[in-house]
Amino acid sequence: MGDVFVVIEHRQGEIRDVNWEMLNLASQVASDFGGEVVSVLLGSGVDDIADQLAGASSKVLYVDDPVLENFNADIYQKNLSALIDEHKPTIVMIGHTAQGVDVAPALAVEKDLPYLTDVIELRGEGGKPVAVRQYYQGKVNAEFSFADADTYILTIREAALEPIEPAQKGSVEKVEAPAKEEAEHRKFVEYVEAEIGDVDITQSEMLIGVGRGVREDKNMPMIEELAQVFEADLCGSRAAVDAGWLPHDRQVGTSGKSVKPKLYFAVGISGAFQHLAGIKGAKTVVAVNKDPNAPIFAEADYGIVDDLFKVVPKLVEELKEE
Amino acid sequence: MKTFVCIKYVPDTSEADVNLNEDGTGVDTSRFSFDINEADNYAVEEAVRIKENHGGSVTVNSIGPQDSEVTIRMALAKGGDNAIRVEDSRIYEYDPLSIAKVLAASIKDQEYDLVMTGCVANDDGNMSVGVALAEELGVPHAAMVKQVEVQDGKVKAHRELEGGLMEVVELSLPCVLTIQTGINEPRYAPIKGIRQAKKKELKVMSLDDLGLPADQVDESASKIKLNQLYIPQVEAKAEFIEGEDAEEKATKLAEVLKKGGLV
Amino acid sequence: MKMSVENQSIIEKLDLLGCIQCGRCTGGCPVTVRTNLNVRRFVYDAYQASLEDLMEELAQYSEIWDCTGCHTCAVRCPKGLKPVEVLYSLRNQIVESGKVEPTVRDALESVFLEGNPWGKPKATRFDWMEGLEVKTAEEGQEVEYLFYVCCSVAYDPKLQVVAQNMVKILEKAGVDYAFLGEEESCCGSEVQALGEEELFMEVQEENVELFSSYPAKKIVTLSPHCLSALKKYEGLEAEVIHYTQLLAELIDEGKLSWEGEFPKKVVYHDPCYLGKQNEVYDEPRQVLKSVPGIELTEFDRSRERSLCCEGGGGKMWVETESQQERLAETRARNAKELEAQVIVCACPFCILTLDDAVKAVGYEEEMEVMEITEILGKVL
Repeated sequence: MGDVFVVIEHRQGEIRDVNWEMLNLASQVASDFGGEVVSVLLGSGVDDIADQLAGASSKVLYVDDPVLENFNADIYQKNLSALIDEHKPTIVMIGHTAQGVDVAPALAVEKDLPYLTDVIELRGEGGKPVAVRQYYQGKVNAEFSFADADTYILTIREAALEPIEPAQKGSVEKVEAPAKEEAEHRKFVEYVEAEIGDVDITQSEMLIGVGRGVREDKNMPMIEELAQVFEADLCGSRAAVDAGWLPHDRQVGTSGKSVKPKLYFAVGISGAFQHLAGIKGAKTVVAVNKDPNAPIFAEADYGIVDDLFKVVPKLVEELKEE
Repeated sequence: MKTFVCIKYVPDTSEADVNLNEDGTGVDTSRFSFDINEADNYAVEEAVRIKENHGGSVTVNSIGPQDSEVTIRMALAKGGDNAIRVEDSRIYEYDPLSIAKVLAASIKDQEYDLVMTGCVANDDGNMSVGVALAEELGVPHAAMVKQVEVQDGKVKAHRELEGGLMEVVELSLPCVLTIQTGINEPRYAPIKGIRQAKKKELKVMSLDDLGLPADQVDESASKIKLNQLYIPQVEAKAEFIEGEDAEEKATKLAEVLKKGGLV
Repeated sequence: MKMSVENQSIIEKLDLLGCIQCGRCTGGCPVTVRTNLNVRRFVYDAYQASLEDLMEELAQYSEIWDCTGCHTCAVRCPKGLKPVEVLYSLRNQIVESGKVEPTVRDALESVFLEGNPWGKPKATRFDWMEGLEVKTAEEGQEVEYLFYVCCSVAYDPKLQVVAQNMVKILEKAGVDYAFLGEEESCCGSEVQALGEEELFMEVQEENVELFSSYPAKKIVTLSPHCLSALKKYEGLEAEVIHYTQLLAELIDEGKLSWEGEFPKKVVYHDPCYLGKQNEVYDEPRQVLKSVPGIELTEFDRSRERSLCCEGGGGKMWVETESQQERLAETRARNAKELEAQVIVCACPFCILTLDDAVKAVGYEEEMEVMEITEILGKVL
């Protein structure tokens, strides 16, 4: 009772960043619930990962079984369900990620537990959680409290919190898999790597990021001209890629790539958190957007609040003169 | 293939100012435009394409007000066969698990092979209804699907993970898929089709009609409780480049960038 | 050989048999310098296709989307046909299949859902009125002039000044006017051009009903596109005029004169929808000439021969694939040869395309694109 479970997300032998962020949040709130931070690791051949996690948790509870070699929502759910029954943690944190949202809602339904998603702030009051999430793509915050329960399931927003610096030596406990059967109705087939096109934006020094504000395909030549003067590569938000202005391998954000250029120039990008998560590694961020309240300005070093269709051509002209 | 596709009617707030209503319990939606949720639109298109390629039917399910019927009619015009709209003010819309229960009640007693919905709603971002619905129905699921191959008695689904990596899974039917944007190019619903779709069945149902006791999905049933809404203060880290007009700002920015060695 | 009733009616509606294949349409078509569109050919092929039930196949040619709806072909046709409408009805085949470009899809859906093609909320249509005292129409109360604001003017921050200045001008002239309230919605001009005839019919029906609740002696449009659309409405009783027609009349009657000066050399660009389609050539010029200090010059290609800016015919949502210079850019170069400081126009779409063109050819330092009301706003 009182423990904070952090369900660890890993893929192809790598621990994903969201774990360190969740562990940081967990370490801040664990005392509110009178418990400890427990990393819950499901996998096969993951001793190594368990050791790494011990540096950032009081305890690593891990299940190492061939059936868990690749993520499978069904098998994860069965094992997590059994571990919750046995250990009765107060909080279960799961990443609000492609993996997390594939398992968390079903787990919450199965166990009939309080469930809140995409949490960005958390504290404990009287042993119960109080959490903040957002609506309308970050334009409204909402604070929630919960009904009395033994366990609360929360998905945690990726890239919204600072990662923890590993600084302790937690215990490591390996347990038998509570559920070892293959899933009958869902089978993992394979991973298919995204094709890398002519440019690998994760390696680009200079990037121009294109968003919905560019409006139409026919405005792309203007942006390409801007890219030329900066000798930059083009990338963009999900909206720009879905609209077909850019190939899929140019998408930046949680469902795309994380980039780390010297300059990231955001044009017509309002800055949904999914996108901002991908540009955290950028040294300098410049943003042009009509909306002074656009979240991109919280990440940007320099901002212009104005019509991009006026700013960009003028900027190109100024820089071309060099 | 008998497919159900669940859609939501949502405001477009991408360019809108969002303000709370007077008592702070909700958002003032009077100046928003509304449309089908983006990811759900892709789900509708995928459902219609599956019907076109493999035969079968498409039923459109939605929980929403009378005004939302226009988007249901549009989905019917694109190739849906019939629709169910659940309207009941007692449903606690903040809880995705309540929504999933209502949708499950509207589907579970019917014959179905596939249920699809968008992987995320643009207004609440819960990314949960589809997967919770699968659990309610007791069928397998895959979230964030960006490619679907229908095979005999099963589907192969490509789940889009971070970094563009695809996780390919095989699910037996019936199952639930939550659909990611970009999986296809949604078609236009011509007005001629929308007119013709008026002849298609659109059943409006309350919780009572569904045989679902309200105290299973209303606010009292939910295990989460909204305390308050507030507008977050965006702390602009950015140094804003000021100027008379756009051109002057651009000129100044050019200087800043040159000085910083960024050009 | 069977011919469906639908195809029979296409032949009759478009009078395909009336065409003598003289080629004056294609000869005058302004977009032929940029694309392969051959409108004469489409009229011929459409007849054949109707006979053989092949309209859907004919509609696959991408050139049908190159037409800018300027109506030069209709003006030049010795048989009084409208070849442009053949292209629109081919577009209709594509629209009704649902497989249109996403930009077209979004514009049409936006008209259907929110009453404007720009994806803006209906509820913010009259935000341009903020800070202005504007008389709005009251149900059943007749006014002399009822104003109909174009969607682009209502929503585009660059164009809102057209409506705002119009209010100031009307107040100054002291005429009995009113603007429609939130119920105003798209005229359907571009909807029809994009081939969505059924949506046009629906828009027409709603607007005719709307106008019947707000009676007026004359309906005055700010955009020539609205003018063209409203004039087509079946069942609309009031006379529809363009605002330049009203202003020319007020100036002529001495009810409107100007305080300031506008000492610049300007060249007037005839919008196709105002000139070729509605034969309003003189009034905009009269209004401009009334402005003290103005020097009005003319393009070589003006009036009936005016070069299209490519903003009509639904082209705001369909890009022409071409390596050739845009016609609006040619227009900007012509204006420079005339040493004009301002290209002045009376159409929101022309303003948008010409403004882009002036920037594209790099003349923005020396040349402005202005709507007539923008100039009038400076001399009020």
